[in-house]
Amino acid sequence: MKSQISNAMLLAIIINIVYAKAIGVTQGIIARQAGGDMWIVTIFSTVFGLFIMFLTVLIIKRSPQKNILEQTKDLVGKWGEKFLALVMFVFFLGAYGGIMITVVYHLMDYFLPEVPTYIFVVLVTGVGLYGIIKGVEVVARLAILGVFSIIFLNIFLLLGSLDYFDIQLFLPVLRNGFFNAVEVTKHHNADWAMATLMVAIILPMVKQKEKWMKYSTKALIIGGGFILMWPILEVGVLSPEVAGQYIVACMQMARSAEIGLFIHRYELIMIIFFAISALIQVMMCLLCASIAAKHIVGGENLNLLLFPVALILGGFGYWVVNDHIRAMDLLTYYWPRVATPITFAVPIIVFLLGIIFKKNLVETNGGASM
Amino acid sequence: MNLKEQLEQDVFIRLKQNVDRIQNILGHSSDLVKREFFIMDNSDFEVTVIFIDGLVDENQIDKTILSPLLNNNRNLQFLNELTKSEEIAQALTKKLLLIPSINTVIKFQDAIDELLAGSTLLFVDHCSQAFVLSTQGWDSRGIEEPQTETVIRGPRDGFVESIRVNTSLIRRRIRDPMFRLQSMKIGERSKTDVAIAYIDGLVREGLVEEVLERLNRIKIDAILESNYIEELIDDAPTSPFLTVQGTERPDKICAGIYEGKVAIIVDNTPFVLLVPTHFWTFLNTSDDYYTHFMMASFNRLIRYMAFIISLTLPSMFVMLVSFHQEMIPTPLAITIAAGREIVPLPILLETIIMEFSFELMREAGLRMPKPIGQAVSIVGSLIIGQAAVEAGLVSPIMVIVVATTGIASFAIPNYFASFSIRLIRFPILIASGTLGLLGFSTIFVVVLIHALSLRSFGEPYLAPIFPFNSSDQKDTMVRAPWWAIEKRPVDVKDDPERDTKGQKPTPKK
Repeated sequence: MKSQISNAMLLAIIINIVYAKAIGVTQGIIARQAGGDMWIVTIFSTVFGLFIMFLTVLIIKRSPQKNILEQTKDLVGKWGEKFLALVMFVFFLGAYGGIMITVVYHLMDYFLPEVPTYIFVVLVTGVGLYGIIKGVEVVARLAILGVFSIIFLNIFLLLGSLDYFDIQLFLPVLRNGFFNAVEVTKHHNADWAMATLMVAIILPMVKQKEKWMKYSTKALIIGGGFILMWPILEVGVLSPEVAGQYIVACMQMARSAEIGLFIHRYELIMIIFFAISALIQVMMCLLCASIAAKHIVGGENLNLLLFPVALILGGFGYWVVNDHIRAMDLLTYYWPRVATPITFAVPIIVFLLGIIFKKNLVETNGGASM
Repeated sequence: MNLKEQLEQDVFIRLKQNVDRIQNILGHSSDLVKREFFIMDNSDFEVTVIFIDGLVDENQIDKTILSPLLNNNRNLQFLNELTKSEEIAQALTKKLLLIPSINTVIKFQDAIDELLAGSTLLFVDHCSQAFVLSTQGWDSRGIEEPQTETVIRGPRDGFVESIRVNTSLIRRRIRDPMFRLQSMKIGERSKTDVAIAYIDGLVREGLVEEVLERLNRIKIDAILESNYIEELIDDAPTSPFLTVQGTERPDKICAGIYEGKVAIIVDNTPFVLLVPTHFWTFLNTSDDYYTHFMMASFNRLIRYMAFIISLTLPSMFVMLVSFHQEMIPTPLAITIAAGREIVPLPILLETIIMEFSFELMREAGLRMPKPIGQAVSIVGSLIIGQAAVEAGLVSPIMVIVVATTGIASFAIPNYFASFSIRLIRFPILIASGTLGLLGFSTIFVVVLIHALSLRSFGEPYLAPIFPFNSSDQKDTMVRAPWWAIEKRPVDVKDDPERDTKGQKPTPKK
């Protein structure tokens, strides 16, 4: 892990890796299950994400040169490392399916319905692979552009939608009950898990470890804020009932936004500004899955694994998105069952293992931990 | 004995042998001039002066070499007492010759190198060394306004083909004792003079060593222009982006040197190189610093827009018209459709043909003599364009799109950077025409990732925007007033302050 990125770059990556999927596909599912409480669900989920991120940074700080997989090896041995790597690979494989749903359906359903699905998957995975080959630093720089794009997109959408905003649509608050809102966070938690598990892998590449906690949590709060604008507008402008009718709720928002005659139908504006965030998701997912695969096979050269991992993830992504019903069933019903335990269990278990086997970590670090 | 062995030999003690060897090495070239004579008619001191006709200043040879040595009125009794080679050499350099710069060499290789560089060689019988007299002087172009980088306000002088004139143009602007100029020769056969210029203390640590290391690595027979060097030291040799900036403007080079960059000056070309280079500098002009900051900032923003238009306008047009008509406002879509009604070609093909025609006219206009070139441009753009529209081969809006794109590309101040952007436009255009938004975004992001991955002498190519540095934004997309630009770019480690603190003028109350 020779690449070094700054904390600001880490912040940009965290914001990007969550944003693209969370504003549209996830919000559509949440709208169907939580109705007008979707914005409250987003806030709850961001709070959970904040807790998990806090825990993840604490774990890595115990041995700052090592990622969560390397630390697990120190704590419980090689097989523990391989098992955790397998779990994380499965997570990023599943997450890649969600990302493909986001990217492909944005483009296919709204712009290019006649283009075969595999072309989307091949091109998007190819670009992701190219980015990863160029290195994390390049992806991080792209993520900075992604953050600017997100800011522009949010401002544009806000300006184009506020005329139709109706506060009445938010009432009654917590209409489906508090516990339902907490339960529905599982969809958005899976998005935040991409960020927390990614941080668990790439944090040792980030310079100035004393700023890790500040920037990671700041990223979550800022990213959460950027995302929160969408469910608020989706409730206040579209209404939760309408938002729930669409796979990609954010595109429906974009379609209805307008400023005058010549800046109407924001779909193209949306894609232009959101594409980088979506591609950052693809790139980081590929990278993290490749690093997990490296720990599974025990190889040294990450570059050798990038292409086969891209093939596996791309193949799975294609299988998912090739059928809309399968895609949405997987994402709505099955993915949360896989992702939720991983989201919470991985950091909590590794954190507890670190407390129980603290001696192992200290010995392997030559007494330099914590 | 082959040529290489002859060159490696030391100068002989006998004059005739030396002259024969020089003539032999140079193959009795017709422009090789030799003048044999005795110092003060003293037959014990036979000398020969050798030089290349056209490379020397003959007046200087006459005044500073021949006249003093042939002047019979001087008291030269001491000459008769000289017997050793070293004594003769000392007498010549310290008492007889009036030329300001004299060196001695003992190897034929060095003597030949100097001779071919315009120096005059002086051989003395019984003296086992050759005297190298600096007599360079040849006709060169006068200092003129640079053809490729004109300014409305600012200095009109541009570099010329002489390295010495070029270094003097830089020296005139940098009277800093820390200014450094290091020279070398590159090219096995051309032995082209190359110099690097920088200010010690401003330049980033390790940059000068890096530049020297790359220059010393060059093994090539000839350097005829600075692009040879540029391509051989480039960080991204296969990229369409330029990571080394070339300019004809001394003020631009000096501004770069003051910002901690290193200039590479090559003899025989008016284009001086500047490293490291950031992409955004290609969108800046010298005028930006010589006009009011608001005007400069506005012009910069126009150029940034021109860059985006030049890169994406035809692709966006093709993408929207071919695949995403619903994104075009209805009245505009109807106008475009009406214009294309009789055009038989698909929009992608139409655009490629128009873009190709535009490039053809540009190239033809550039290569022809100036008056004819202008005529070609006018005939091409007005008459053929009009005829093509009337014949129904292209739509009027396509002419507007291609012309706007072309004009936008000319608004990019650096011709070569503008050309690289024009090159990138074509893959984006083809991708947009075949896969719509998907193709456009894919190729655009690939180009973006490629640009983000580039470095120029260790610095990110897209800095200071990616990675973002807030203090450098004062001179990137806009130009802040001079009193607000308190710091040099962040890479200047040793002396970041420009000494402009508290310089904002305030009228007396």
